Formats: sequence, structure tokens, C-alpha cells
Amino acid sequence: MRLNSFASAMVGTLLLAVAPAAAADAPGVTADKIRIGSFGALTGPGYLYGKLVMNGVEIVFDEVNAKGGVHGRKLELVREDDRCDPAGAIGAVKKLIYQDQVFALIGGGCSNATFAAREEVEKSKVPLLVFASVHDGITTPPAPNIFSTATTSTIESYAQLEFALKRGAKRIAVVSMRDSWGRARYEPLMAAFKSKGVKPVADEEVSPDANDTTAQVLRLKAANADAVIVLLYPKPAAVFLRDSAKLAFKPIMIGQTGIADPAAFEEQVGVPGGTANFYTISMVRYTPDDPAVDKWRKAIEAKFPGDRLSVFNLFGVGSAQVLVEALKNAGPDLTREKLIAALASIKNFETDTHGGPITCSEADHRCHKSPAWIRKEPGGPTKVLDVTPVSLN
Amino acid sequence: MLFSYLLVSGITTGALYALIALGIVIVNKASGVINFAHGELLMVAGFVAWTLHVGLQLPYGVALLGTVAIGFAVGVLTDRIAFRPLANADLVSLVLATVGLSFILKGTARLIWGGKADYLSFPPLTQAEPILLGPLMIIPQQLVVTAGALAVMIAFAAFFRLTTAGKMMQATADNAKAAKLVGIRTDRVYMMAFAVGSLIAAAAAVLMAPLTLLYPDMGFLLFVKGFAAAVVGGLTSLPGAVLGGILVGVVESLAGGYIHSSAMEVAPFLVIMAVLIVRPTGLLDFAKVRRV
Repeated sequence: MRLNSFASAMVGTLLLAVAPAAAADAPGVTADKIRIGSFGALTGPGYLYGKLVMNGVEIVFDEVNAKGGVHGRKLELVREDDRCDPAGAIGAVKKLIYQDQVFALIGGGCSNATFAAREEVEKSKVPLLVFASVHDGITTPPAPNIFSTATTSTIESYAQLEFALKRGAKRIAVVSMRDSWGRARYEPLMAAFKSKGVKPVADEEVSPDANDTTAQVLRLKAANADAVIVLLYPKPAAVFLRDSAKLAFKPIMIGQTGIADPAAFEEQVGVPGGTANFYTISMVRYTPDDPAVDKWRKAIEAKFPGDRLSVFNLFGVGSAQVLVEALKNAGPDLTREKLIAALASIKNFETDTHGGPITCSEADHRCHKSPAWIRKEPGGPTKVLDVTPVSLN
Repeated sequence: MLFSYLLVSGITTGALYALIALGIVIVNKASGVINFAHGELLMVAGFVAWTLHVGLQLPYGVALLGTVAIGFAVGVLTDRIAFRPLANADLVSLVLATVGLSFILKGTARLIWGGKADYLSFPPLTQAEPILLGPLMIIPQQLVVTAGALAVMIAFAAFFRLTTAGKMMQATADNAKAAKLVGIRTDRVYMMAFAVGSLIAAAAAVLMAPLTLLYPDMGFLLFVKGFAAAVVGGLTSLPGAVLGGILVGVVESLAGGYIHSSAMEVAPFLVIMAVLIVRPTGLLDFAKVRRV
């Protein structure tokens, strides 16, 4: 009897000792906690794609934790500011991986910054789920451990052309920036034109700091364009739309996720009716005022007093749900390899926010290929029009 | 038809570059310093105009007068705080002071206006659609801005030619020692130069704001364009600054329209290089051209 008790106690002690040891094999994982790192801009104008998206991630983690966590482990989010800067992003991921010892990463706001951090993340073999950066180079060619729930620039460029054709445009023009952000969109767009057998009627360039785009508008007007694909940041795009209104040039204007908030953009353009023909892409299928996202609105307002739900929060909500699903599928004996395999196996997973189902594979880590189209009627609300599933095959 | 559109557009932008160039030339003539903070003075004035017109809902004319007055005051303060204490310092120190001031102004603008949005929008002066007069397309917005810029230039020329302060500034610019000998308070003239330079930057900002957007980093690019215009004009010639500004604006616009939009940024600088090769002292700085 005594011997049995002693043996039981020994076995119990051994089990207790072994369980945390197994968990401790994976950095950032303990018996009751999984530490997840996030990087993006917490300060400066890029905070929309960083801090706000992270807030969306955090409310999902809170919900999961309130229900007991993933296989009994609570999720902890550790944030690092990359200031939207390539060097800042490399420093941020290094700190998260080697100093904070996170198990996995969910993050990436500004494309150029995330692209710069790719090499470091790939080398570390830490799983990364990108939540907002759209640069193709982040996921193409695929790094074994990097996946994305953001619509990438190639997907958006194909969707922009598809949208113009669906709207019956016959004379499609392009106005673009040719910095690395612009080229990442411009080159796939030209490939999309080629694959559809369509030739742009005009192809104009605008510098990111442009204060006057009269010459570009006049050339597009002379080309009689009935649709213009806009590959510009919000500021030059606003100058371009102001000048278009000034010169009574009124084609369909087709934006992308660089201009993800049509209400803010309407204010920046500042000309009544200046954005009447402007359509843009959203990664999510709901606007913040849609009753379908009431639950998340309440969660944001409760967790971050003074904040109002934004589309950027919704990017984070959807992305975090994908990560949580993969963590569940990876099982209780969590390793980074298992999480990577689970991410690659996500199929037709519907989040509460994204435009379409999330599907990843071993060969293609661009998991979100269903951009939604949104438009703000002058003086009216922003509406989601439809979703354009993109096939790149 | 395209030519007339581009020409009018180039003249409008060029008139604004000319105002920026005038401010740079005035300070340079009086003090021998290139004010590298000139673009930031313009940027701050743009935000002040936004606060008065959009924030406080004051009429555009009142916002213009208010901004110009504040611009003048900022110029006086600039002289008192940043330059007067360095009156006896070498030129490098003075230039560094202007660079430092540009960072202070940019930081201040970020602190006050930075959190409102990425870019602030100033409402257009008129909503009227373009008017077609035969082959000529008149854009009311551009017409108002060009007329405003011309009015500022005329007022400035009148100040220089007709007022005592203007004449004292000219005398000091021509020969500071002689001006001092005849009793002109040259320190006050320097202060006036900074103040008038800043005032013209403020006027340019209020005229430019409805055409573009306001953001804290906008100053440097505009300074570069204005400086280029000033260099073309000879750096000390006021009519040269006006001519240089209009030349830069028109070349930029025509290059964008007839060559390609990618040529817009580089074309004016190619022309400037060509001008400087032919006339190293600028288009209108005849005084320095000496035959040997």
C-alpha cells in the first residue's frame, strides 16, 4: 500500500515535471500561456495599419481567453513599434523573437517595413501571419513559415482590372506611383492587362509628394478614359481627385487598400462630389457601422475607451481568428512546426470579417483572395458593394 | 487646346513658386543668408489658414489677412529668437540656425495639427466648372489663385518703391555699411526682411492651400522649387525670382503634358542647369555680369 502510494506520487510528480518540460520545448509556450508577438506602427500615421489592427487582434484573444484559451493556454499579445520603417521592423521582430521569446507572430502593417523583416522572420522559422501588409514579396515566393490574410498587391491589381471590366469600362487608364510600393502594384496590373488582352489607353505617373496633377488629368482626359485605376497613396490620390473635379473629368476611379477608408478620403479630397465615382477595395466585407460587427464594436469600445470601431480593427479580428483556428488545429502538444502545418492546412475558413473564405496551402501562402468593393456616396454612408474572388491561375 | 490648359496651369503654379522665391530672395538680399526654414514657414502658415478658415469657420478673406498678420509676427519672432543673437556669427552658423528652425517648425506643426488626419484638406475657393473660351479653358479656381498671387506681387513692389521701410530695405541690401552711415537701423531692416519674407510665404500658403493638401512635410519640396526659381533669377533679383518661378511652373506643366508625367519633376531642373550654364549669375542679375 505504502509502495503503491509512493509509486503513484512519483508518477504524478514525473507527469507534472514532464508536462511543462514538453511545453517549454517551444519558446513562448508554457502550460497555461502562449506568447504571441505583434509588430507594426504604434505611432505616426501608419498606426492605422499597426496599432488599430493589433487592437482587433487583442479583442479576439480576450474572447478566446474568456472561454478558457486554446487547449487550456491563454493567449498573450506582445506589441512592438516598427514605426512603419524597414529598419524599425527588423529591430522589432528581432526583439520579439530573441528577447521576448514569442512563440509566433501576427503583424505587419506597412508593406515596405514587413518586406524588410521577411528575411529575419524566415531565418528564425517563427510562424508569422501577416494581417495588413500587401506587398507580394512578403509571401511570394512563399517562405515556409510566413502566411498572409491580407489581400496582396497582385490580387488587388487583378481585382481592380476585373472591376473596371465588370462595370463596362472600355477605355481603362492607369495613374500610379513608381516607388517600391507603387511598382509592387503596377507590374502585376500590367500583367493583368496583358492576360486579359486589354491595353491601357493612358499610363500616367504621379510622385508621392505631388501638389499638382493637372498635367496628368489633362492627358487622361485627352485619352478619353472612362475608368482610371488609381495606384496612389491617399495624399497624391486626393490631389488627383481634386484636380479631376477641377477639370470636370469624371470617369470611374478605382482605388485599392492603400485608400481603405472612403469617409476619411472624402474629407481629404474636400470637394463636394469629388469622390462620387470613387470605388476602393476593402479586405473586410463589413463597414464599421454594420450591425453584423456589433459584437466587435462593443468589444473595442469596452477595451479601448474613446476608440470607435474601424475597418483596421476588423482586419485584426479576422486575422486573429485564423491564427486561433490554426493554434487549435495544431493540438495541445504545440510546436512551431505543427502551427506552420496547421496554417498551411487552413481551408475555406470563414472569419467574422474577411471578404471571403481563407484558404492557405503548402504552395500558396496568400490566403485571402476575395477583396470587397466599397464606396461612399457623397454625404452618405460607406457601403460594401460586392466581393471579387480572384483566381491567379 | 492642350497647350493653353498646360500654360495656364503652369503660370498658376509658377506664380506660387514665384512668391516662395520672392521670400527667399528678400531674406538673402538683406542678410546674405538662404533661409532653409522658408518652406516650413509656408507650411505653418497653411495650417494657420486652415485653423482660421476651416476650424473657426472665418471667411476666406479674413483667414488670408489673419494668416498674413501671423506670418509677419512669426518672421519678427524668427529674427529675434533665431538670428539676432547670431548677428555676429559666421554664415555657416546662420545657415545652420535656419535648418534648425525648419525642424522646430515641423515638429511644432506635428504637435498641433499632426493628430487630426494624415493630410488636411482646404476647401476650394470656387466650385465653378471650367469655362471654355474658344480654344482656351479657363479654370476659375486657377484664375482666382493667379490673380491673388499677382496682387501680392504688386503690393510687394509698391511697398519696396513707395514706402520708407521698403526704401530702407533696398538701401541696406545695396550697401549695408553706407546705410548704417546715413542712420538706417540695419538691425531693424534685417528684422523687417525676415518679417516680410515670412509674410509673403504666408500669402503664398493661403493661395496654395485650396489647390493642394496640408501636411507637415510639405515645406521642403516647395522650398526646393522656390529656391530653384530664385537661383534662375539670380538669387538677389526680385523680378528674376518672379520670372524664375513662372519658368519653373510652366516647364514643369508642359513637360508633364507633352513628354510624360514622369518628366515633370526633373524637367525644370534640367532647364535650370541649362540657364546656369549660359548665365551663371541668373537670368536677370545683370549687375554681376562683367566683361573682362
